[in-house]
Amino acid sequence: MQFLAIQRVVGLLLMVFSLSMLTPLLVSWRFHDGVHTPYLHAFAVTLAAGLLLWLPVLRVRQELRIRDGFALIALFWIVLGLFGALPLWLALRPHLNVTDAIFEAVSGLTTTGATVLTGLDALPRSILYYRQQLQWIGGLGTLMLAVAILPLLGVGGMQMFLAQTPGTTRESHLAPRLAEAIRSLGYLYLSLTALCAAGYWLAGMTPFDALAHSLSTISTGGFSTHDANLGYFNAHPGVMAVAMVFMLLGGASFALHYFAWHRRDLRLYFQEAEFRTYIAVIGITAAVIALYLAGSHHATPGHALLAGLFQAVSIGTTSGFVREPSSHWPAFVPVLLLFVSFIGGCANSTAGGIKAMRFLLLMKQGWREVGRLIHPNAVIAIRVGGHVLPDRVLDAIWGFFAAYVALFTLLLILLTAFGLDQVSAFSAAAACLNNMGSSLAGFGHHYGAISDGAKWVLAAAMLFGRMEVFILLALFRPSFWRG
Amino acid sequence: MRRQFIQRILGIFLLIFSLTLIPPMLVSIGYRDGELPPFAVSFALTLVLGILLWLPTRGLRGDLRRREGFMVVAMFWIMFSALGTLPLLFGARIGVANAIFEVVSGVTTTGATVLTGLDRMPQSLLYYRAQLQWFGGMGLIVFAVAILPMLGIGGMQLYRAETPGPMKDDKLAPRIASSARTLWYIYAGLTAACALGFWLTGMNWFDALTHSFATLSTGGFSTHDASMGYFHSPAIEAVADVFMLAGGINFSIHYIAFAKGQPRAYLRDLEVRTYFAVVAIVIALCTWVLLGNHVYHHFFTALRYAAFQAISIITCTGFTSTNFAVWPMFLPSLILIGSVIGGCAGSTSGGMKVIRFLVLFKQGLRDMGRLGHPRRVDSLKLSGRVVPERIVDAVWGFLAVYVATCAFMMLLLVADGMDQLSAFSAVVTCINNAGPGLGQVAANFQHISAEAKLILSATMLLGRLEIFTLLVLVSPSFWRK
Repeated sequence: MQFLAIQRVVGLLLMVFSLSMLTPLLVSWRFHDGVHTPYLHAFAVTLAAGLLLWLPVLRVRQELRIRDGFALIALFWIVLGLFGALPLWLALRPHLNVTDAIFEAVSGLTTTGATVLTGLDALPRSILYYRQQLQWIGGLGTLMLAVAILPLLGVGGMQMFLAQTPGTTRESHLAPRLAEAIRSLGYLYLSLTALCAAGYWLAGMTPFDALAHSLSTISTGGFSTHDANLGYFNAHPGVMAVAMVFMLLGGASFALHYFAWHRRDLRLYFQEAEFRTYIAVIGITAAVIALYLAGSHHATPGHALLAGLFQAVSIGTTSGFVREPSSHWPAFVPVLLLFVSFIGGCANSTAGGIKAMRFLLLMKQGWREVGRLIHPNAVIAIRVGGHVLPDRVLDAIWGFFAAYVALFTLLLILLTAFGLDQVSAFSAAAACLNNMGSSLAGFGHHYGAISDGAKWVLAAAMLFGRMEVFILLALFRPSFWRG
Repeated sequence: MRRQFIQRILGIFLLIFSLTLIPPMLVSIGYRDGELPPFAVSFALTLVLGILLWLPTRGLRGDLRRREGFMVVAMFWIMFSALGTLPLLFGARIGVANAIFEVVSGVTTTGATVLTGLDRMPQSLLYYRAQLQWFGGMGLIVFAVAILPMLGIGGMQLYRAETPGPMKDDKLAPRIASSARTLWYIYAGLTAACALGFWLTGMNWFDALTHSFATLSTGGFSTHDASMGYFHSPAIEAVADVFMLAGGINFSIHYIAFAKGQPRAYLRDLEVRTYFAVVAIVIALCTWVLLGNHVYHHFFTALRYAAFQAISIITCTGFTSTNFAVWPMFLPSLILIGSVIGGCAGSTSGGMKVIRFLVLFKQGLRDMGRLGHPRRVDSLKLSGRVVPERIVDAVWGFLAVYVATCAFMMLLLVADGMDQLSAFSAVVTCINNAGPGLGQVAANFQHISAEAKLILSATMLLGRLEIFTLLVLVSPSFWRK
């Protein structure tokens, strides 16, 4: 473990992150909402902390090793979560305690979108903007780590994406890979956000809402500036269409976007197995929900189709936007959506969940076991896009799946121990572990009323989900710290 | 697939099944409860049908092939369930869906019931339910000890080496016959000991017999609505505790312990040790929370209820001595989730089985260890023996289809209109063949819709057949030449 090198990177990270606390000042100045000091104080504290970490090791020239990636990723989310909570905690409106502020910041950064706040419409604009910006930064961070570092670490079978990193870097050093990813994907992420904001604006949002929602759409986050969430814009069908398109883009592989853009070839999308699975899952979910809503006379066919499509996209990409309170639906719809959120988006995206690629491979392997039962001596290889996957990748995916299921069960038990009823515990655990956010079948979008203990458990769930479970688990292993 | 072969086995099933209807007839005659006609009609019907199927094929000889093995196993449970409903249908007091649910629940040793007013029911019917579970358990032992390892479902090749009987013989029939006989003696002996225990601690002989049937098979049908709570007797519960635990242990280990006189075999076996540890941890947690929340004030009262409920659900028996669905905090979910782990492979219990749980756990640790060391080569070991990759794969596959089946069945139930908690617990309790659930299905399954009863019957069968047996039958490549 290269502690000094890690310290240096975290110091740098904090200094860069402190800059993000200055942009809300611009919003505050533009809308005259009178919130200045929380951002300035938070900026000063974060910058100072960054400098304190960075200055002593300024001249250290240690190279980051692969294993340092684990600590780096864990620190990235935990440290940013804590410092990101500062402005929310310091602000007079909303008046949040430490637990709530951290929950909100972690939910933002992990692009979960679960909120403890109500009365959003009346909050200062700059605070609202700050929340949206947290999601955007979180989305960017997720993308960078997923594309540049996870394949190196081999978490949950991600090594299969090693060759898919955009750019020319094939080397196995962390820093150059990260730089390469930021160069190639940062612009893409930024342009998609700009396009999304323009789309929202043209579809009828105010410029502020358009910007704010574009930040949480492309990051598949799900924060909104209104209590009614995207339901506030139900009168503008164009908004729904823009939201769906950019949620789908945010949940798709950014490596794929990159290649499709560079080769100017849209066919690439449909040649890729993971993308096809991702679209199929969302399409089937939309169809089932629409048929169920129309068939059980809960909605007119047109409304059922829109509700089905929007909800399937929003939950299938683990964004967690809602158009109407989930209590409007028959119980089947929220339960189905919760299960779909487990599948989640594509691997190199801002989405959460198990990821479409792993889901596809789990299905293929389940089916292979059936084949092996019938032909016990057959050698059956698992292929994706014509390539045979090595056993080690498959093992890692099974391990990931088992850890995911086990963690979910543990969360379920912990949450009921902290006072949630079983249904709420089930949906809140699923919503947070999958970084989806909307607790569909329990208490809806607002987590304000649950106990502090439950909030900490859920914040941990979001971090575990964002770090693909194993990164945090690996740090708990004694053997990790040896040698 | 040789049709005649299957027909022959079907015929034999029918003949044997018709014989199992004789004891309930005797009970009916003995108690003069007026239930003789439905049993007699079913007996005659299955006997004649069985002879008709069997006679044309009686000269047939040959060995069971692999594919036929899957077919026969699936058919055994499905036929047993279908035939078992006959006496209930001819008795014609409960609907078709109820009859199917009740019989499937009995045959799969689940123990979920749609019947209430058990205390006033004809004795022959009560006896018949208990007997369904006992024969279900008997079939299960053969299935679990002899057939599953042979077919290799869900990684159960793990146990191939430990099965008593001729080892190197790859043919199904002789192997089944020899191991079945030995294990059934043990099963019957333990049942007799259990019945004696119940009788000595205060049950009447009828209750003692029926409850011993339901205990050793880890079934859980009772002759009283209040289940074991009816007796208000710590002694009876203690006897039940012991024999439920015994029913959840691999019967091959019982064989080594009894027939070979090595009682240490229990502690030598890694799976049995883990099983005891899981049970002990759940009991300790339950006792602690029950005392902490002042549900019971005395340590031993809390321990008594905690132990009984934890053992009953983890072994997937499903007796209740109190309504544990109203226990505080996470206890109901914890106990229910305990049934997911279930008992040992090769026992009459349900769930995923401790051995699979162990493999999954160790593999999880191994994967974590690999994270920091991408080129490390390490193999998975159980009791010092390396587990082949292929078996590990099969266990993973089992976990995946198990989770997928649970999610799918839960969705079906919710789509049918059941609330989420009831649906979740009903699916968990049925796929693990445990019995009681939470919410709407805490006491019994009477008030759910007819479709829900059929969905749950299918779930119980899937759980009992370890899912893959049925999946294999619906895969196209199974039917290709």
